[in-house]
Amino acid sequence: MGARKDIAWCPGCGNFPIRDVLESVLKELPVPPGKVVLTSGIGQAAKMPQYLDVNYFNGLHGRALPLAVGIKLARPDLTVIAYSGDGCNYSEGGNHFIHTIRRRLDITILTSNNQVYGLTKGQSSPTTDPGVQNLLDPRGNDNIPLNPLALALTLGAPFVARGFAGDKDHLKTLIRDAVLFKGTALVDILQPCVSFNKINTYSWYRDRVHKVEKPAEGRAEAIGLAKVWGPKIPIGVLFRDDSAETREPKTLFGKSVAREAMEQMACAKCVMMR
Amino acid sequence: MEFNVLIGGQAGQGMFSVELELTEILSRLRYHFFATKNYMSRIRGGHNFHMIRVAEEPVHALSGVPWDLIIGLDTETERYHRADLSASGIFLSQGQVKEMEQAARERFEQITVTNTMLAGLILSVIGCPPERLYGIRDISLNQDHLAAGFEFARRWGLEGRCPVEARASAHCKFDGNQALALGALLGGCQFMAGYPMTPATSVMHYVATVALEHPVHFEQAEDEISAVNMALGASYAGLRSLVATSGGGFALMQEGVSLAGMTETPVVIIVAQRPGPATGLPTRTEQGDLNFVLHAGHGEFPRVIYAPGSLHEAMTLARKAFDVADRCQTPVFILTDQYFADSVQMMTEDIPPEIIRREYGIFDGSYRRYSLTPSGVSPLACPGTGEALVKVDSDEHDDEGKITEDPGLRSRMVEKRLKKFDLLRKDVVMPTFSGDPEADVIVINWGSNRMIVDEAVRRLAAGGASAGALHFGQVYPLTKEMVEPWNLAGKRIIAVENNAMGQFAGLLKRELGITVSRRVLKYNGECFTVRELCQTLRNHLP
Repeated sequence: MGARKDIAWCPGCGNFPIRDVLESVLKELPVPPGKVVLTSGIGQAAKMPQYLDVNYFNGLHGRALPLAVGIKLARPDLTVIAYSGDGCNYSEGGNHFIHTIRRRLDITILTSNNQVYGLTKGQSSPTTDPGVQNLLDPRGNDNIPLNPLALALTLGAPFVARGFAGDKDHLKTLIRDAVLFKGTALVDILQPCVSFNKINTYSWYRDRVHKVEKPAEGRAEAIGLAKVWGPKIPIGVLFRDDSAETREPKTLFGKSVAREAMEQMACAKCVMMR
Repeated sequence: MEFNVLIGGQAGQGMFSVELELTEILSRLRYHFFATKNYMSRIRGGHNFHMIRVAEEPVHALSGVPWDLIIGLDTETERYHRADLSASGIFLSQGQVKEMEQAARERFEQITVTNTMLAGLILSVIGCPPERLYGIRDISLNQDHLAAGFEFARRWGLEGRCPVEARASAHCKFDGNQALALGALLGGCQFMAGYPMTPATSVMHYVATVALEHPVHFEQAEDEISAVNMALGASYAGLRSLVATSGGGFALMQEGVSLAGMTETPVVIIVAQRPGPATGLPTRTEQGDLNFVLHAGHGEFPRVIYAPGSLHEAMTLARKAFDVADRCQTPVFILTDQYFADSVQMMTEDIPPEIIRREYGIFDGSYRRYSLTPSGVSPLACPGTGEALVKVDSDEHDDEGKITEDPGLRSRMVEKRLKKFDLLRKDVVMPTFSGDPEADVIVINWGSNRMIVDEAVRRLAAGGASAGALHFGQVYPLTKEMVEPWNLAGKRIIAVENNAMGQFAGLLKRELGITVSRRVLKYNGECFTVRELCQTLRNHLP
């Protein structure tokens, strides 16, 4: 692993602890390291795979999820984790976020959610609170923040969790459980941005986060829990349904359409009768 | 003798079924034929028409001569097409069709049987002996329904009115998209993602159908952006991958094209053109997206564009596309159009049924995805097959696949990617020449116009006007070697294209310095017919 000085994040960035957590989760997974693939999009968070010793496809802004879908469909034997920020997964890739969950594949979606655009220097993200001012929203953000957890729950995601970059041990359990969970798992990670988000800081979160004891009973209760945001912010696995059906892509790699079948399809001359 | 029939009606009235059933029978009975359609962007109503040409010689284009038979399932058919009926032609009115419908209802309790009856009627008109039909066993058509069609032909005195002999030898019947899909499978394609868009959808349909029973997967994506990214993900993971779309969908795919160029991920992209800009004429034909595909995707990277002009060429080039994409690790395009996609033809050439497969090396931990080599091509590995970690990045990267902003490395990586052009230039598909090699006039064309131009040049030669036809099945890159054998210098060059700006003529000038002296262009959404092309070309011949 490269020294930290090679890493393109600001000192104190919430992505550092997430990186440490990911590194130790990957090390402890009951899967050979070569069988794990990370996909990511663009943004500060999306640089994550660069700083881990892992297979990766660091694609385009918003497209971490379609890449993950393509990889999983092609190679169900691989453990596929899509990692990006809130801008990438929820804004530019918002449509993919919706439809990737609908596909019921065994992939893990991790989002560094810092409620701000980091790499482009401080603009509103889909999760920015109303009224927050920045260069492109000088009068304050007019939009209703997107709740990724409630959205995922509505779409039928079978594993939905929220983590906090400031609690590495807890986050590690969440990410490990998400990766090992059979089905689409989302972990939205509260990640302080030390450069552009002066409100949602480490200490702001520390005063508010509390761990849920166990997942909610049923989806409706989980949605309610996901919507709690204020003096108390629940973190942990908000919903988990181990009985949810997951799509099993068929084995394609190393196989081939049989020559006889191809002859039948492409070369069988029209049959002359009599 | 040959026979040309037009079947017109509202969308949903069953002309499509008549064409499907008739072409299936014609091919089994070994008639030479060509069938295509002109349809509106709607599911019901409007006015659509299907055109079928049956001949005693191979035919691969619309003749354009007056119709021998027009079948009107609606009132519009008479209004639009009756003027194009030949002097001795037969007009089967809506009233007559209604009579057949009545019989279908009374005798078979099913109005849709009329389609099969109409196919029977047409077979009778071309003098097909009814007993020949009895041999068709492996076909789901009811002999009684066909016979009922023959009866109507007899009753109306149409039997054998336009006799055509069945003279075809062994052959296969395909439409253009089917040929492309099968070519892709022969090229080892195992993954396709797509969002439905006319006229590319049937490629997806064929692949999805094949995927039911074979190690192939089709995934319907939420949009074209997702489709191309899924394909790149699958290609990275180890499968030869395909996407197909039309201009509007391809507009969304462009960032993925650029991503394929940067990450050197092999992918094959079929662009089935229809008239633009924007939604344009969704179900009609045009060759208006050559420049678009040529320039699609930001940044500089190598690409190849094929534009097949026959079924055999579609199949061989689709197969080759996957091989070239893999060998050069770059996007390869197949440019087709609605006319070719929706035309049903016969293929007499053989195709080797061997499936080309992607070969991977197994590498140790020292593997670097973008290691610099003299050819510019780095060894391709896929994740999870050895000790190698496969690291791929859309940012400029070093040989290991890690982000770099080093100016020297940037230059080397740009040169590495562009070096692959040398490989592509050494492996070009030579244009196909037909007609008189000594002629002073060469008619240049590309893509789906090939068979139309070929027949037009043949017809002109029969009338004493000599010309050569040069068809480009590869439109990019263009090399001097591709045109050398035809000695174009000093000849009069005419370009035939289904667009308004003569895009290929412009490309020839830019890439090879060839000056086209006359552009024959059509951009009303319809294909050329042989007759109209003959008339236009005759004016330009010495």
